[in-house]
Amino acid sequence: MTMTVVKPGLQSTLQSRPRTGLRHQGVPAGGAADPLSLALANRLVGNAWDATALEVTLAGPVLRFERDCAYAFAGAAVPVARNGIAVEAHETLFARAGDELVIGPATAGARLYLAVAGGFDADDVLGSSSTNLQAAFGGFGGRALQAGDALQYAAGAAEAVTTPAEFRPPMAASRALRVCESAETPLLDGAGREALFGANWVVDRRADRMGLRLDGPPLSVASEGRMPSAGVLPGTIQCPGDAPYLLGVDAGTVGGYPRVAQVTRADRHLTGQLRPGDRVRLLHREPEEAVAELRAKVDYWSAWLPDAAEIF
Amino acid sequence: MLTRCGDDAFSVAAGSPQEAQALAAQLRRSGDWLDVVPGIGSVLLRFDATRYNADEVGRTIASVLEEGTAALRVSDTLVEIPVVYGGDHGPDLDELARATGLSGDEIVALHTGSEYRVDMIGFTPGFAFVGGLDERLRVPRRTEPRQRVEAGSIGIADARTGIYAMASPGGWTLIGRTPRKLFDPAAANPFVLEPGMRVRFVAIGPGEFDA
Repeated sequence: MTMTVVKPGLQSTLQSRPRTGLRHQGVPAGGAADPLSLALANRLVGNAWDATALEVTLAGPVLRFERDCAYAFAGAAVPVARNGIAVEAHETLFARAGDELVIGPATAGARLYLAVAGGFDADDVLGSSSTNLQAAFGGFGGRALQAGDALQYAAGAAEAVTTPAEFRPPMAASRALRVCESAETPLLDGAGREALFGANWVVDRRADRMGLRLDGPPLSVASEGRMPSAGVLPGTIQCPGDAPYLLGVDAGTVGGYPRVAQVTRADRHLTGQLRPGDRVRLLHREPEEAVAELRAKVDYWSAWLPDAAEIF
Repeated sequence: MLTRCGDDAFSVAAGSPQEAQALAAQLRRSGDWLDVVPGIGSVLLRFDATRYNADEVGRTIASVLEEGTAALRVSDTLVEIPVVYGGDHGPDLDELARATGLSGDEIVALHTGSEYRVDMIGFTPGFAFVGGLDERLRVPRRTEPRQRVEAGSIGIADARTGIYAMASPGGWTLIGRTPRKLFDPAAANPFVLEPGMRVRFVAIGPGEFDA
C-alpha cells in the first residue's frame, strides 16, 4: 500500500513512541510531540497507540492515496479536504485509490497526526521508528518528507469509530501548563519566581521539536545562567540568559543552564501543540499534587485509550 | 544531596564526573528507572510516577548513597582518535593560539601529548565530554554558538575536549576534526566511546582525512 507525497508541507515526519533509557548516550526521547493525539488517531484505525503515523506541522502537505484504505486524524485544528470536500478529525475515514488530501494550515495548535490502518512502514532505530531530524535516523530515512516520496504501509482493516466528545482535546491559542519546581529553581530571585509562575508568556517565533523560548518579563538567575552540564528532560524549562526556554521531545539530553521548572508529566503532551504567538501560563504545583493529577488523568483517558499510562 | 526535579525525577549530586558515572551505574542496578542521566556533577533519575511513589524512590536512592559507590571501573580500552588540526577542520585554532599565547604547533603538541578519559556522553547521540585537558589550553565556551558544527569536530571548552559525533549547533572552540565515525545508528553498537574509556588524540595530515 502506498501514499504519495504531492507536497510535503512545512515539516511532516513519521513519528511513533519515544526512545527511553538512552539519554545517557545522548539519544533524545523524540517521538510524537503530542503523543496523546498520536494515540487518538491510531485508536480510530484499530492500531496500537504508538503505530507509526504522520506528524504534520502547522502548514500541511498534499497527499494521494494509491490504494483504498482506512485513515484518521487527531491533534491540531486543521482543515482537511479530500478531493475538495471537507473531512473531519476524530472519526474513521475511508479513502479510495486516487483520492487526494489537502491538509492545513492549522488554525489552532501546532501538530496534526494522520494514522492509516496498519501504520506506516518506517526505519526502526534504537527501539523506535520515530524520526530524529538532527541525527537523521528513524522514520523515513531520518528526514522530513519531500515531494515525490512514497510512504508504504501494511493493509489494515478498520471499523468505523468516532471519538466521544469528552475525549477530543480542545485546541486554543492560550494554554495553562502545570509545572513543578526543579533543581535550580532556588537560583531565581523573588521577582523572577513570581514572574515565572505568574506571568503571561508568549511562545517565540522560533519554536520546533527541540524546544521553544517563552517571551515575557526578564528573569534574573543567581548563577548568570551557567552551570556544569546536567541531565534535562522534555518539559524541562531552562533559563539561558534571562528568558525561559522550554525543552521539546528532541532536545539534547544534558544542558549547562539552570533548570528552573519542569512541566508535569500529565501536561507534557500539551507542549507539542504550542505554536508561535500562543499565550502560556505556568501553574505552580507541588510534586505530590502533580502525581495525583497524573494518576487522575491516566484514569480518565483509560476509558478510551487502554494504554493511557504509557502515553503520558 | 537529593533534589526533586518535577513530579517524576530526582537529581543526585556527585563530586566529579567519575563519581556521577559510578553512582549512575549503581543506581541503574538498584532501581526501575525510565532514564538515568549522569552529568558533570550530578545524576538525573526519571521514574515512572504512575507506578512508584516518590517516597519509595527516594528511599532507594538514599540506600544507594549510604552504601557508597565503588569507583568507576577504569576501562582498559584505549581509543585513538585521529585528528586533522587547524585549517578548515579546526577553524578556531588561530583564535586559541592568540588566547593562550601558544603557537598552533605547541597547541597540537600539548593536545596530542596526554592521555584523556571520557567523562560523559550526552547532549546529542554519542557526543563525548573528554576530561583531562592541559590547563594551558583552557578557554571558556564561545559566547556566540555556531548554528552548525560538522560531525567529527573536536572542540575545547573549559577543562574538556568535546567530540561532536554528529553535526549539531555548538559553542566549543574548534581545533580539529576526526574522520573517524563515532556514532553510527546502523551499527550493532552505535557508540564507539563510553564513559571511563581512555582516549588519545593523534595528529594526521589533511590528506589523510578522506583517505
